[in-house]
Amino acid sequence: MQPTTDSPANRSLPVIENVTRRAVVKGAFATLGAAAFVAAASPIRNAAKSTTADEFLQQHYQELSVADKRAVIARLEAETKQKYGADVEIGDDRPIPGTKFVYAINLSVCNGNGKCVEACHKENNHDRSTHQSYIRVIEMPKGTLDMEQGSTTYTGTVPKDDKFYLPVQCQQCDEPPCVDVCPVQATWKEADGIVVVDYNWCIGCRYCEAACPYHARRFNWKQPEIPAEEINPNQSYLSNRIRPAGVVEKCTYCLHRTRRGQLPACLEACPTGARVFGNILDESSNIRWILENKRVYILKEELGTKPAFFYYFD
Amino acid sequence: MRKSSSYFLHGLAVAVCVTALGAGWQWMDDVESSSPTSDTTFLTSAESAVGGLNVPSQAAPPAMRFEVLVRRPEGPPKIELITNDPLGRTTSVACSTCHSIRQPNRDNRSPEMLDEFHQGMQFDHGRLACYACHNPEDSDSLHGADGTVIAFSDVMILCSQCHSSQAIAFEHGAHGGMNGFWDLTRGPQTKNNCIDCHDPHAPRYPKMIVGFKPRDRFLERDKPHATHN
Amino acid sequence: MRDLSTNEIDIRSHLTSYPRFLGRSLWLATEGSLGFYAWMTMLTALFLVGTNAWAHQVAGGMISTNMTDQVSWGLYIANFTFMVGLAAGGVMMVIPAYLYHDRKMHDVVIIGELLAVAAIVMCLMFVVADLGRPDRFWHLIPGIGKFNFPLSMLTWDVIVLNGYLLINLHICGYLLYTRFLGRTPNPIWYLPFVMLSIGWAISIHTVTAFLYCGLGGRPFWNSALLAPRFLASAFVSGPAFIIVTLLLMRRLTHVTGLDSPIATLTKIIRVTILINLLMVASELFTEFYTGGSHASAAKYLFFGIHGKTALVPWTWTAIVLNVAATGLFLWKGVLRENRRLLLAIACAMAFTGTWIEKGMGLIIPGFIPSTLHEIVEYVPSQLEWKVTIGIWAAGLMVFTIAIKAALPTLNDGRFQSMDQVA
Repeated sequence: MQPTTDSPANRSLPVIENVTRRAVVKGAFATLGAAAFVAAASPIRNAAKSTTADEFLQQHYQELSVADKRAVIARLEAETKQKYGADVEIGDDRPIPGTKFVYAINLSVCNGNGKCVEACHKENNHDRSTHQSYIRVIEMPKGTLDMEQGSTTYTGTVPKDDKFYLPVQCQQCDEPPCVDVCPVQATWKEADGIVVVDYNWCIGCRYCEAACPYHARRFNWKQPEIPAEEINPNQSYLSNRIRPAGVVEKCTYCLHRTRRGQLPACLEACPTGARVFGNILDESSNIRWILENKRVYILKEELGTKPAFFYYFD
Repeated sequence: MRKSSSYFLHGLAVAVCVTALGAGWQWMDDVESSSPTSDTTFLTSAESAVGGLNVPSQAAPPAMRFEVLVRRPEGPPKIELITNDPLGRTTSVACSTCHSIRQPNRDNRSPEMLDEFHQGMQFDHGRLACYACHNPEDSDSLHGADGTVIAFSDVMILCSQCHSSQAIAFEHGAHGGMNGFWDLTRGPQTKNNCIDCHDPHAPRYPKMIVGFKPRDRFLERDKPHATHN
Repeated sequence: MRDLSTNEIDIRSHLTSYPRFLGRSLWLATEGSLGFYAWMTMLTALFLVGTNAWAHQVAGGMISTNMTDQVSWGLYIANFTFMVGLAAGGVMMVIPAYLYHDRKMHDVVIIGELLAVAAIVMCLMFVVADLGRPDRFWHLIPGIGKFNFPLSMLTWDVIVLNGYLLINLHICGYLLYTRFLGRTPNPIWYLPFVMLSIGWAISIHTVTAFLYCGLGGRPFWNSALLAPRFLASAFVSGPAFIIVTLLLMRRLTHVTGLDSPIATLTKIIRVTILINLLMVASELFTEFYTGGSHASAAKYLFFGIHGKTALVPWTWTAIVLNVAATGLFLWKGVLRENRRLLLAIACAMAFTGTWIEKGMGLIIPGFIPSTLHEIVEYVPSQLEWKVTIGIWAAGLMVFTIAIKAALPTLNDGRFQSMDQVA
């Protein structure tokens, strides 16, 4: 590197001696620094080995053709077999035309036993060690609806005499704050009212988790760990297939069941029969009768989220 | 006008143009790509057979309607005896085994007053007398308030005569839970009858113990001994 | 007099001289005293530690942080929020220099713009560090991915932050490049961008505030005052950092004429630190006078609830630092020549107080109690500290390199005024 020719305009720039030796020394340190950087970042390379180009380049779910989806699902099923040792069947369940799903819970009947929490945990292939579930039950003192006075950490015999129990899960809001805030449209509301997440599109920024007023969203802080024999093999792309680390997930009203006409797992597991689920657009449905005959209310109504989840006392 | 003001206006104009361009482009993008109904037509029922699983997105014709099956008791309760009969066969006792050869004693109003059998039976069902539900004429059946004989397998009718609100709720799927399908064009639904959950002599739903709790980091659970009263 | 060589620009010569300019800047940035090398080596080491920690986080999942589903944003986003303010605060030099024709400030305004560049680089690094899937960054690119503009405030933030970076890179790059070529900068190539950067700086912190204050489910953030509070503290922390930088430059470099900018910035802080305190007081009154469950987060922050008090010492420290700094700044003696150390201390106190108050003291209480009123506390894990310090080290490196490269333009005793036509 030669010193710059000194024109009158360049006089403000300093002249440097011993350019060649200094250049070599600087170059050596720069190379050392680069090598140190690569070494420091090496754990990423090991992690990158487990991903494929297909997975990296996969488009948003709504942009995939039928053939694309077939390929993606085949890849996911193979990956599940390889990582977890279980044969699973991942469907692509689309909304049934003419349905809008609504859920209701009878708070006079719920006794906080938590079987719904456990059923969700098993049905949706959650990580075992954390007992993850989409449902949380709040033990509330009778006489108030203020969650500030409630507690989720109760155990023991239920129901306690002076308490009632409030299970909370995703409300599948009609104006979901989580959908508005997602920067990449990885979450959206489908025609039957269910708010879904494309786990292969989510970038894991957790803005939706901050925006949800109902603590409905969960983040995969690590890869879920489930023994092969406990994996529920009836899966769907947008609901209970085993999610990768670093993405957000949420209750999908068990769309892998409900879009096939079945009841959600939490409802089937409830021993007291406090839960009611159905298609609000069907005039003869159970949920319609609840909304027409019971004094229902919703959580945090003042936020304007318009939940599709109702509570009532009987 | 000072030059700096004109540069300021320059800058503002640049900003407005860029924002308008960007917003317009994104609006066009949104109009094309987002549409709440587009995803339901994305897959036809023929195409939605993915991964070997055929998931029809159209409902079956209404004529194909499955049942709501309500479980029923088989009949009057029978008690298996510990001992076998002299021929080595298992024996069981029906209500009529004893009650067909005795006169009903309508003065007995609680289990404590019974001295020959049914000791230790828990009774906590208001101030009902035994023969308010049990048929004194035929111990293998029940009877309603107007005397109508009700078979044991129809016990729900008996419960409903006083607990009509729960009965109506039950009819509408709002009491007692269910298993199976919400969409009866695709599969049946099974429901319990009253006495599957409620012991008719002590019908209050039993307390339970919380079995499964989330294990959160940094959130301590209550200690199990903390029982309130 | 005016060397307006617009018509004589030879594109081919730019193709060779621009790389030379970059090379020369890089060369200058790696020249210095032993102290300078020690400083850069230390920063490099810290940056490597941070890189390694982040790599472990990407490989093993974010379970190695202490964030939870209840407190889902932590140290990274706290620092991100603060750094956006620091970037916006750089504009506090631009306003007097260009709008009010403060000649003395004019000479050194590039320092504020370079701070903006370094701060935005740090912001982007903090955001990437916080992503669960950084490999899916391309999902954000409009056209290639899906960009939820204009609904998602995060997309606005992406636009304004990157735009601000480009504007400042252009301004600084253009000015330094023209000095390298020995030409007078042509106002048309930078003045509109400078004017744009003034409004744009306000917008970056306003948009960042809108990220939080639009969320109805988080009552601690859901306040109209949040965006003004952000701006007030940005205009404290930015100038405070620049004053310290200028004081260091007085000591360590041959640059002269820094006393007037220091005085101007101090006077600016006198106003903005008072406004900042007033806004904090306003928030406190609104929370505690009303009470109720919406005030739980503020109660947790200042007094703790149900025995959970992890943030209480932090926030009271911030209050004390801010009030003490206010007192020092308001005292007229702080501008005296022999009180430079005191000024530096006041700046450090204001900077640290603002960092606590707008970083951890704003993000974490938004999550405590959670939306279901669970109280889960958050203390950053060691890995999070390593990544954070690594990113700070990277930012300081960028800033040091940038200042180093810009020093020759500041060294010229007869620095020609940019705005010759005014």
